[in-house]
Amino acid sequence: MKKILLLLGMLFCFVLYGSAQNMNVNGIVKDQDNKPLQGVTIALKSSGVAVKTDASGAFILTVPSGGTLVISHVGFETKEVIAASGTMDIQLKNHYEKLDDIVVIGYGSQRKKDLTGSVTSISTKDFKDQPVTSVSQVLQGRSAGVQVISNAGSPGGDVSIRIRGNNSIMGNNNPLYIIDGFVGADYSAINPSDIASIEVLKDASATAIYGSRGANGVVLISTKKGRSGAVQVEFSTRFTTAKVIKKMDLLNAADFARTVNDRSIATGIAPTFTQSQIDSFAKYGGTDWQNEVFRTAPGQEYLLGISGGGDKTTFYVGGNYLDQKGVLLNSYYKRFSLRTNLNSQLSNKLSLYINSFVTRQEKNNVNGDGGRWSPVTQALAWSPTVPVRDASGNFTVNDPVSSITYNPVAILLDQNKTEQNTSANILLGMKYQFAPGLTLDISGGTNYINLQGLNYSGPAVSNNLPGASRSSAESISLQSTNNLTYTHLFNNVHRLTATAVFEVQTYKNNGFSAAGNNLTFPELGYYNLSQASSYGVNTAYSNYGLISYLGRVNYSFKDKYLVTGSVRRDGSSKFQKGNQYSTFPSVGLGWKLSEEDFIKRMNIFSSLKLRAGYGITGSQAINPYQTMTGYSNVTTSFTSGTLTSGVVLGNPGNENLKWESTQQLDFGIDAEVFNGRLSFAADYYMKHTKDLLLAVPVPSYAGGGSMLSNVGAMDNSGYEFTVTGVPVATKINWTTSFNLSILHNKVVSLNAGQNKLFAGSSVGAGLSAQPEFVLIPGMPLGSYWGLTYLGTWKAADKDAALYGNVAGDSKYLDLNGDHKIDGNDYHVIGHGLPKYTWGWNNTATYKHFTLNIFVQAVGGYDKLDYLYAAAISANADIRQATIADIKNRYIPGVNETSDIPAFTTTGKNYTQSTRFLEDGSFIRLKNISLGYDLPQSLLKKVNIKLFVSGANLLTITKYKGFDPETTSLTSGAGADVSQSIDYGSYPNAKSITAGVTVRF
Amino acid sequence: MKKLLYTIGALSILTISGCSKVLQENPNGQLIGENAITTVSGLQSALLGAYQPLKNGYTSGFASSAVVAVVMGADDLTTHPASNKQEFREMDQFSVTSTNTRISTIWLGCYKTIQNVNNILDVYKKINGDTSKINQIVGEAYFLRAFSYFWLVRLWGNVPLITTADYNTELLSVNKSTPADIYKLIESDLQQAERLMPNAKAAPGRANAGSAKALLAEVYLTEGGYPVKDASKYALAAAKAKEVIDNKSKYNFDLNPDLADLWSGIPKPNGTVEDVFTLQFSATGNANSIYGKSCMPGDDAGWDDYFAEITFFNNFPAGKRKDITFYTKFKNGTLDWTNSATKHPYFSKFRVNTPTPGYLTSATSMSMPLIRYANVLLTYAEAQARANTSAGSDAYAAVNEVRRRAGLPDMTISLSANVFADSVVQERAWEFAGEYTRWFDLVRLEKVEEANSHKDVNDLKPLGTITKANYWLPIPYMETQLNPNLK
Repeated sequence: MKKILLLLGMLFCFVLYGSAQNMNVNGIVKDQDNKPLQGVTIALKSSGVAVKTDASGAFILTVPSGGTLVISHVGFETKEVIAASGTMDIQLKNHYEKLDDIVVIGYGSQRKKDLTGSVTSISTKDFKDQPVTSVSQVLQGRSAGVQVISNAGSPGGDVSIRIRGNNSIMGNNNPLYIIDGFVGADYSAINPSDIASIEVLKDASATAIYGSRGANGVVLISTKKGRSGAVQVEFSTRFTTAKVIKKMDLLNAADFARTVNDRSIATGIAPTFTQSQIDSFAKYGGTDWQNEVFRTAPGQEYLLGISGGGDKTTFYVGGNYLDQKGVLLNSYYKRFSLRTNLNSQLSNKLSLYINSFVTRQEKNNVNGDGGRWSPVTQALAWSPTVPVRDASGNFTVNDPVSSITYNPVAILLDQNKTEQNTSANILLGMKYQFAPGLTLDISGGTNYINLQGLNYSGPAVSNNLPGASRSSAESISLQSTNNLTYTHLFNNVHRLTATAVFEVQTYKNNGFSAAGNNLTFPELGYYNLSQASSYGVNTAYSNYGLISYLGRVNYSFKDKYLVTGSVRRDGSSKFQKGNQYSTFPSVGLGWKLSEEDFIKRMNIFSSLKLRAGYGITGSQAINPYQTMTGYSNVTTSFTSGTLTSGVVLGNPGNENLKWESTQQLDFGIDAEVFNGRLSFAADYYMKHTKDLLLAVPVPSYAGGGSMLSNVGAMDNSGYEFTVTGVPVATKINWTTSFNLSILHNKVVSLNAGQNKLFAGSSVGAGLSAQPEFVLIPGMPLGSYWGLTYLGTWKAADKDAALYGNVAGDSKYLDLNGDHKIDGNDYHVIGHGLPKYTWGWNNTATYKHFTLNIFVQAVGGYDKLDYLYAAAISANADIRQATIADIKNRYIPGVNETSDIPAFTTTGKNYTQSTRFLEDGSFIRLKNISLGYDLPQSLLKKVNIKLFVSGANLLTITKYKGFDPETTSLTSGAGADVSQSIDYGSYPNAKSITAGVTVRF
Repeated sequence: MKKLLYTIGALSILTISGCSKVLQENPNGQLIGENAITTVSGLQSALLGAYQPLKNGYTSGFASSAVVAVVMGADDLTTHPASNKQEFREMDQFSVTSTNTRISTIWLGCYKTIQNVNNILDVYKKINGDTSKINQIVGEAYFLRAFSYFWLVRLWGNVPLITTADYNTELLSVNKSTPADIYKLIESDLQQAERLMPNAKAAPGRANAGSAKALLAEVYLTEGGYPVKDASKYALAAAKAKEVIDNKSKYNFDLNPDLADLWSGIPKPNGTVEDVFTLQFSATGNANSIYGKSCMPGDDAGWDDYFAEITFFNNFPAGKRKDITFYTKFKNGTLDWTNSATKHPYFSKFRVNTPTPGYLTSATSMSMPLIRYANVLLTYAEAQARANTSAGSDAYAAVNEVRRRAGLPDMTISLSANVFADSVVQERAWEFAGEYTRWFDLVRLEKVEEANSHKDVNDLKPLGTITKANYWLPIPYMETQLNPNLK
């Protein structure tokens, strides 16, 4: 790397000397977006002769032939070129170190160079040429310490985003999202084109300002604002075609029939298929269920951004329409959104701003978490010997051989699960400047969400008892923030910013639902529920509130020594009196070594900074009312065919619940060399979370369920590295950025008297016998609990009989040596929490071409592959193996080395074992795109860019399932305890996108 | 400009003054806390809810084939040797593991109902209202608790005896109680239940005083055998069963004269007179999954969960009852069971006649009788004989009532008490084939080993030697992890 840089540096500095005749030079200077630059200084090197460019970027200068021109402009890299005849086309690059970059830090902003916390900034240019449709895609792989996993590959599917690991077992580990100051906003609907910048606050000295909600890190999203001047319009359109990332290798119909017969014969029952049936399958084939449920899915997106304004008022308007079909039949995600940001300077002291964002999202059949009813699971469960439809065109409703549940095509086509989410996020604020440096910012915001559910299950997926339901819920969140900030530079050396905030937030949710069972007129679906044989209705309500007081001081001395201190006090309604309030302090220190003379003399670093921070943050992301025991509604029958409602006791409440809190210590270094061409950042952090909230299982004999409790402590520690450089800066400009995060997680202690606690996923209902996960002090979160698989019993093993087994049966580690394989032989068999993630983003430009290559990797963890387990071991809802690997099983006398168990009546297969635990590590080519800017000469005043890109085109992994990235879990509260289980989750798609962007 | 400033000021004062309420939880719509239930109708709602864990789908209780799995060690039931039936095979082959999910399904169903009953027995004392209504609710609650413990004690032997609904950490270290202690509670609960409940059922799926008496008779009968072995209970069993028989019209109990109607495969919203205690189901919302696909052969797109052992079928006396009990011709009558995939006869009793052919349902509205009037008759006959030196004429009459309906001749007269009692036990095996009765009879009479020694060549065999340890199910694994005292 270094050599290349040196070599390139030499090339870059190579200067030609020519004869000294005078010549007239003219040219145009443009920025990276090919916009003309006004006021650029064009100087003849070592002469003092200089001119400036006009509004069209043009200049004329008389210089000696072969003379060197020095082109410089504020905010741009200075460039030297040899004077040439003809019109010179000169492009200036943005300066790598923008000295006065301002970053948003929560309740204020700060000069980037004054930051003491660990903050990652992502700007539009990092993703603008990639077909990203959500914030999660923007965050993925672009920031050290931020792990983004698509739990479901469906369009608009669930994503889990984790900043510096998982602090909480029970609580929600999602970061806190702030959009233009609105705390706890919904990020999923945001149109990435509206984003001006994203700041990820990672360490406690940065996040403690968000107190009880800051423990999981904070993502600050700032949307675009208008600029005074001519109206600018940008319009983009993109077309996508997507396919499932992989298909599994399954038995064809003839092989399946032969295998089923082999099993029948081996277990002493009559063969299921006749030879003539098998011959017929061999000749005519059967059903390829994967081909039946997956499709090539089109997508389209239109984006429009208009900005501009006069002297006092500026505006930005962004519109978006996205329609992405899923790779599973009848699944889609649609989004309409409109953002309007207005800023108005009402007087020289008072300004007003309104940010409004209105969006509607519609999803159908995108529920990605899988399980036994998932179409993906059923595509592997159904016999290839069964047709999709019967002779009269109706769905086949029974698979007589393998699956015991619904036809996967019917699951997709005879069923609709539609969710319509309409939301409005409006923020109104006023800033008043009492005196220079003293500002009061008062804002009020509301986030309104209206959620409509429309569900229908047709005859083929309801045992001919078609049903439908409607649900409606609205939630309103209100926020009032009062922020007083004072900033001043004393004596030119003491820079001080002090902030005091009072904030109140309330949340209320109100909903109802109605269901009709056994519809008389199924074709009317959810539009007419009145004609049904029975009904269910329900209503729900919840509320909570939060009151906060906070203060912060940022101080720097001579721009060398930096100190940040903050404190926040939060009160939450989710806890009982006495436990409601908690205080969250933090301190951050920075030392800008590059401002010290001894570093300056070294002449290596253009910037060098050491950082240290400490703070306490909290998590209260639990549902309201958990401190009280309540009843839940049930319906049951007392007269055949009818339902009566009653109540049963719910989970026991815990009135002693208190805040879960996280202490975090962070050390960081930021360095830049070669004038900013190479920059480096590294962080080490230690997080200690105490009073961990966990839903502790209650024994069934005491009513079962779980009780939310504060159970112990957990540590997360990790390293983060980011290297950004410009290895090539000639006609070809190559910018590369690599980030790496390494995470260690460990449960430190549990309450006295407890040496382990269990947590189940409920994903493997009917498949897993026991909770899959265990918390043991010293072990990481997401430790799998199960049996060690030792392969098959071989003919020479005399001990098989002690277990009632024969050669070819599964052999498990008998931990206690009692010749019985049961719960007493369970132990920790693996870990589901990824240990490292890295991302590598490259952008290369050459003339009018831009190439982007983005690679992401997640590694060091095990996945429990339930789908593979179910489809090869004939368990739960799948009665026969469908995976092609079954052909390599142990067959007495034929293949006695295989570790895939034989067909016997004595063998037992447990899915919760190392046999189905696989390395989930993967490296994925997330994006590769090529853009082309149409030459300006072809079009006047209009800038057109064409691009084509591919997403997820290549994945390197050992994982046997569809997609190592997706899991059957959601990002919600409590999900992180059960990591990385995959049972028919909605796989990611690989896609090709082509698009055009027009700017004028 | 000033207007704006005033507006801002006013708004901020408003937000601050509204703050006192922000930290108050407003549990609208939530039934929460000790005082959630204060009325008779609220108590009624808690009672109806207490039935639900006994039939909560595949999650808990008796709504799924878990109930068949736990009694599969008997000689009337077996399962598919391969397919996805590992957990059933464990039961049939006497190698049950503590991680088997079928055992935890039954365990949870019983204990969740017990918890809710314990709550009702606690809460009702604070409620003022119509005494007769409160008595009915409390009586039914006692019945449900006894019913649940009766299943637990028969399947597991020693189990925790929990009589409180309040969760506290002390519950994490309770020890198992002996069957004698469990039966003591069952008896006293049923004595309360028969005293408090009315003679008429409030709905076909609920219990009345007669149900409590019938259950108590069976409890006494069971206590007469292993492991309690208190022979004095036989007389109590006979007396209690006789009470029901003598008052059958009062409780609206009787034999359904038509066996074919009893097992018609069509839901009967009003039940039949034979229902002494029957769980009711609704295909939508609260389905019975034991009937339908679960009991049907793969040849007819069924699941092969359970079917009859061949020796049992071969010994079954021919006649009307055998024809109604079993289903032996598959694929529209073209395939005899001897040539079918599993080469076993299946049960006809639990099949469903669906209105729409092609949808062979696994979620049914079929009701599931757990105590039939026939049970009361046969309990009486056996107990009467075991309590005396010879069987009385009433005992003969009771057993003959069942035999006549089955199309069989009357029992040979003048049998010794023991021979008579054993004949009644055999009669129970035929009459209640597949109905979760045979296993308990074999256990109390210590005949599990003997009954499993006549396997047909095509039946699954026990994987080891059957001992008394195999009479009991292991405590579900997770329970022993949460409370090591239960190991």
